[in-house]
Amino acid sequence: MAAVELDHVGKREGIGAPILSDVSLRLEEGAFYFLTGASGAGKTTLLRLITLAERASHGTLKVFGADAAALDRDAQAALRRRIGIVFQGPWLIDELSVHDNVALPLRIAGAAEREIRDNVDELLAWVGMAGRAAARTATLSGGERQRIAIARAIVHRPALLIADDPAGSGGDEIAVLLVRIFERINRLGTTVLIATDDVRFARRFEHQRFHLDHGMLSNAGAALAQ
Amino acid sequence: MIADWLTAMRPRLSLGWDQSGRFIRWVVALLVFIAALGGVGLVELHHRLRAWEHEFAAAAALQVPADVSNARLATVMALLRQTPGIQSVHLLDPAETARLLEPWLGPAVTLDELPVPRLIDLRIDPDGATDMAALRRQLATVAPDSRLDDHLSWPQGMHAAARRLESILAASTAAALMLIAVSVAFSVRATLVADRSVAQLLHRLGAGDGDIARLFAIRALRVGLEGGVIGAIAAVVAILALSGAGSLVRLPAPGEYHGVADWRIWAVLGGAAVAAGLIAMASAWAAVRRRLARMS
Repeated sequence: MAAVELDHVGKREGIGAPILSDVSLRLEEGAFYFLTGASGAGKTTLLRLITLAERASHGTLKVFGADAAALDRDAQAALRRRIGIVFQGPWLIDELSVHDNVALPLRIAGAAEREIRDNVDELLAWVGMAGRAAARTATLSGGERQRIAIARAIVHRPALLIADDPAGSGGDEIAVLLVRIFERINRLGTTVLIATDDVRFARRFEHQRFHLDHGMLSNAGAALAQ
Repeated sequence: MIADWLTAMRPRLSLGWDQSGRFIRWVVALLVFIAALGGVGLVELHHRLRAWEHEFAAAAALQVPADVSNARLATVMALLRQTPGIQSVHLLDPAETARLLEPWLGPAVTLDELPVPRLIDLRIDPDGATDMAALRRQLATVAPDSRLDDHLSWPQGMHAAARRLESILAASTAAALMLIAVSVAFSVRATLVADRSVAQLLHRLGAGDGDIARLFAIRALRVGLEGGVIGAIAAVVAILALSGAGSLVRLPAPGEYHGVADWRIWAVLGGAAVAAGLIAMASAWAAVRRRLARMS
C-alpha cells in the first residue's frame, strides 16, 4: 500500500519554465526516503504538493489512496492531520508557549486536554526540552526552535512525516541526530520523507533516495544502494 | 463534555485579534448603546401608543344644545343607554360643567348667563362594536344640533406621526446591530491579512476553515458580549439620567404593569447585549470562512 503516489505530476506557475515536470513516484507505507536535489530543484514544491498545500497543474496525486484533486477543503484538512511536517524554518507561533506550539496538531485534531498534556510532555522530554514547556518560543535558540518543530510534527503520531531540510544550517552533527530521531519514528510505522540538498549526506544512510534536478525526478522509485 | 467546551472557550490563539478586539469591544459598546436606546424608545413609544389608542377608543362626549327640553334630553339619555357597547352614560350637572370650563371662563362667570350646551360623558367598551355612525343618525332625529365627539378623528395625524417614529426607531436599532456585524467582519478580515502566516501554518497542520473560523468566532462572541454589556449599562445610565428613574421603571399601562421594573425594558437591554455577542460571532465566522476560501 502506498502512502503517496504521484503519476506524471507537473507544476507550473505562470508562463515560466515548469517547477516540476512529469514526476512519478511512490512512497510505500512505513518506508524511509530521502529526496535530494540542489536548491531550486523543486523539492519544496514537491513536498507542498504531497502535503496538500498546493494543487498539481497536471497529473494524478494520491495521498493515502485519496485523489488530491477530488478532495474538498474539509477532506484535505482531514488528510493533512495525518501528516507531520518539519518545515524549512521552524515556523512557530511566538505568541504561544513551547507547550502550546507542540500541542497545536493535537488541539486541531480535537484531543482531550489530558491526552494533550501527556503527549506533549513525553515529546518535549524526548527532544530534550522537558524544562522549557512554559517558555515563549521567541526566547529559544535556533536549535531549540527546530527541536520544538520536530516535536510538533510527530506529537500526533502521523502516518506520514515530511521534513524539508530539517537540519538547515545546524551542521553535520545536528543533521545526523535528526535522522536518528526520524528513524525511531519510522520504526513505529510512520512513512518518512526527508528533503535535503546535501546528496553526500543522504548517501550515508541506507534509505531509498529520489533525486530532483530542474523539476525532473531521476531514479524514481529505485532504491539506490550506493 | 463541559470541560472540553470550556477548554475551547479559553482563547489560545488570538491571531492578532487581541489589539483590534479591544478596539472592536468599544465600537460594539457604542453601537449597543445606540441600539438599546432605540429599542427602549421603541418599546416605550409602542406601549404609550397602545395605551393612548385604548384611552381614545374608550371615551366619547356628546354636546346637546342648551335649549333642548328636559324631555328630549331624557330621550337622548335613554337612546345612549340602549346603544350596544356604551358602558356608562353620565350627564354632567351644572357644577361639573362649570368646573370643566373654569380654566377658560374663570370662576366669576355663572353659566346661567351663557348658552353652554349640556355635556354627556360616555364610557365605551374599546373592544366592543359601537356603531358611531348609526348613533349619530339616531341622535340627529332626537336632538338635531347635538354633536358626538368620539376623540378618534382629530388625533389621526399624531397617530401617523407616532407610527413613523416607531419605524425610524426600529430602523436605527437594526442599523446599529448591522454595523456591529460590519465592524467585526472588517476587523477579522484585516487581522487575517496581517496574520496570514499563522492562518497558513494552522492550515498546513490540518486545521480546517471551520477550525480557524471557530477561533475567531469564540473570541468575537466574548468581545461582542463584553461590548454589549458595557453598552447596555451605559444605556441604563443614560435613560436614568435623561428621564429619571420613574420613566424607566413605570410604563403607563396600569393594567399590565407589574413590579418595580417593566420586564420589557430589561429584555431589550439584555437582548441587545446578547444580540451583539451573537451577531459578532456569526459575522466573524462568515468573514473568516470567506477570507480563507480566497487565501488558498
